[in-house]
Amino acid sequence: MSKRNRDWGNTLQGRFLRSMRFGCEPLDSLLVQRLDASRDESAVRALEAEDTLRELQQNERVAMARDKQVDFAQDVLEWSQSKGRKVIGRLYALLSIVICVTVIVLLMETVMNMPAFGSPAAPANNEVAARYIEKGMEETGAVNIVAGMILDYRAFDTLGESTVLYIAACAVLILLRIDRQKDGTPTQELIAEEADDRAFEPENDRILQGSAKVLTPIVLLLGIYVILNGHLSPGGGFSGGAIVGAGLILYLNAFGFARASRFFTYKTFTTVSLFSLSFYALAKTYSFYCGANGIPSGIPLGTPGAILSSGLILPLNICVGMVVACTMYVFFCLFRKGGL
Amino acid sequence: MNILEWVRFLLTAVCLLSGLFILVASVLGVYKFDYVLNRMHAAAMGDTLGIMFVLLGLIISAPDVWVIIKLVLVIVFLWVGNPVGSHLIARLEVNTNPVWAQQVRDARQEWEEGQSDGRL
Repeated sequence: MSKRNRDWGNTLQGRFLRSMRFGCEPLDSLLVQRLDASRDESAVRALEAEDTLRELQQNERVAMARDKQVDFAQDVLEWSQSKGRKVIGRLYALLSIVICVTVIVLLMETVMNMPAFGSPAAPANNEVAARYIEKGMEETGAVNIVAGMILDYRAFDTLGESTVLYIAACAVLILLRIDRQKDGTPTQELIAEEADDRAFEPENDRILQGSAKVLTPIVLLLGIYVILNGHLSPGGGFSGGAIVGAGLILYLNAFGFARASRFFTYKTFTTVSLFSLSFYALAKTYSFYCGANGIPSGIPLGTPGAILSSGLILPLNICVGMVVACTMYVFFCLFRKGGL
Repeated sequence: MNILEWVRFLLTAVCLLSGLFILVASVLGVYKFDYVLNRMHAAAMGDTLGIMFVLLGLIISAPDVWVIIKLVLVIVFLWVGNPVGSHLIARLEVNTNPVWAQQVRDARQEWEEGQSDGRL
């Protein structure tokens, strides 16, 4: 073995190749190299002794470092338990005060720079708002300007809101639904959930059932009234749908899943949501297409103030209301039991 | 007429203030008590009596018969709804608290035996 060769073995390239070939650490290759170089026993033993000594020193160093670390950790722990708690608590208090004051100053600054309330120069009082107020009733036929705005001028936005509700219901369905087995038999989890539900939920409670018998029809009627009067008075699809959903939830709580599932299942939910959202989309597509091309849409606006008036707003309110009611009910069922 | 207006104003003020007092007391009770049933009692108090006083004050000062009818309906609705809610909370507590569970089980067993004997 020539000298040149040995030097090559100590270079980076040589170490790397050796480690590739023999599977040893690249930095250990020096030892192998030396063992290769001197084959006699005494030299090997001397090298081994040197290595054990180095290893011992290394271990000692590691142990010392570990002890130092442990000491440091204990110091930190003691400090945090005695003095550090006060210091960090004060730091937190100081930081929270600073952040609060900064935010307050920023918001106050913003408010100071805003135009005065009701000022005609405010950017909110532009020609769009003026047009909504002046011509809203004439163009949409709705006495309630807000309904005319959200379901006629800006109906696209409301379609997105209803779709968001539907997507939220689907996401909750994916996350919380407890599936049955493939042959339709309930899983162990489902049975446990049913038993839990029956033990803790107020099924067959006479006081609740008595009051629900009185209240449910009234609540549902109020919700339907709010939906149907959306274009005449404050209210509309979202609030009325929420009231109808609350009525359904009350019925469910009082009379149990067995009776509620006679009129509300997954099929009802999918059918109602699909019908409402697609009717909404189709109706608004038609009226946007007509409006954009200047074709008369042929939908009668009726006399403002009558229940059958204002064109598409009434059916659209009904659609939104149905979607909202179904979504609320499905949310409640899934969070309570993991199924309808 | 002037005197009547004053009487009306005073009655309204008294009703509203007593309603607010009861609501504040119930909020304090909810934070002060430790046990569920005590807190529920405090909360139910505010929900029924306090809101009734507030709405009574509004009824006295109402300008219109229809407003009065609506407010009376609101009171009826709250008085049907809130005690039932409190009852449900209490029932859940009694059903799930292990301290009460044994007593509830005994009472139910007694009741069932009584029913089968024809005593109840």
